[in-house]
Amino acid sequence: MPEPSDDLVLDRLIHEPGRLAILTVLSSVSAADFVFLQRTTGLTKGNLSSHLSKLEDAGLVTVEKRFVRKKPNTNVTLTPTGAERVARHWDQLERLRRRSEPGSQETPA
Amino acid sequence: MDRKDVDTAVAENTHLRGLYGVMGGLLAIMAALANDDRGPSSQWFFVIAALALGLATLATWRYYNKNFGRATPTSRDVRRDVVVMMVGVAVLILGSLFLSSRASWSLDLPVNTTAMGMGWILLVAVYASVGIRPHHLVLYGALFIAGAVPVWERGGMSGNTGLYMAGAAMIVGGLLDHRLLVQRFGSAAALEQEDDRAGTQ
Repeated sequence: MPEPSDDLVLDRLIHEPGRLAILTVLSSVSAADFVFLQRTTGLTKGNLSSHLSKLEDAGLVTVEKRFVRKKPNTNVTLTPTGAERVARHWDQLERLRRRSEPGSQETPA
Repeated sequence: MDRKDVDTAVAENTHLRGLYGVMGGLLAIMAALANDDRGPSSQWFFVIAALALGLATLATWRYYNKNFGRATPTSRDVRRDVVVMMVGVAVLILGSLFLSSRASWSLDLPVNTTAMGMGWILLVAVYASVGIRPHHLVLYGALFIAGAVPVWERGGMSGNTGLYMAGAAMIVGGLLDHRLLVQRFGSAAALEQEDDRAGTQ
């Protein structure tokens, strides 16, 4: 069985919809706090925490916990690796979308 | 999921915080009152009103940060916003001078350049940030058009009337933006309820 080309292999860590939404939000801003991510992605607090842990462990985001006026505040930024991988992921999705269109000329590498 | 949907959500959470527009509208009305012979005569009125507006703006900032979060824009977005506003203000100034001023090259039309200028700047600002929604077009477009109708008194109180109109447009526009924000992302109460369900409070 032939090996799938790189174009057809999606990044499984990023492809999960919640994590893809988080990384895409972070790629549009310089940094965002937990509430901004929660509101903008629509994820629950627990889901968001879980996804952020996975992304931080993979080195795609940096999570900084601090206190602002004595209240805990979590600030999240995208690492250069995270920025590169999410951009590549969207490119791959776009290539797959174009390939699936009728009359598409693209062929697998 | 479409990338554009996520980018739109980021823009909406950042730029539909319409209570700031309400503060701006109140400031415009205060500025008009300060110039108006029929307005309050006491200077203390304006000092107290300015302080109250400042405190209200601070409370608004805290409300939005607590309930909708904070994001730092990219330097690219900041540069884009600065360029857009500089171009917008340049067009505003040159347009005002060309349409109705004492300059020899002015058309000297009986229009309200304050209303036209405010309408123009508000439309440019929303176009560049979150995209023009129907209520922006209606309110700020109407402000522009009302100023462009050639029935205004040259000089006189036209500028002040323009400020009152702009203030009203910004207040209504700001309230509608805030309503859109809450409809899109949920109310502050909804966030607290979710926290309660998660057992975090």
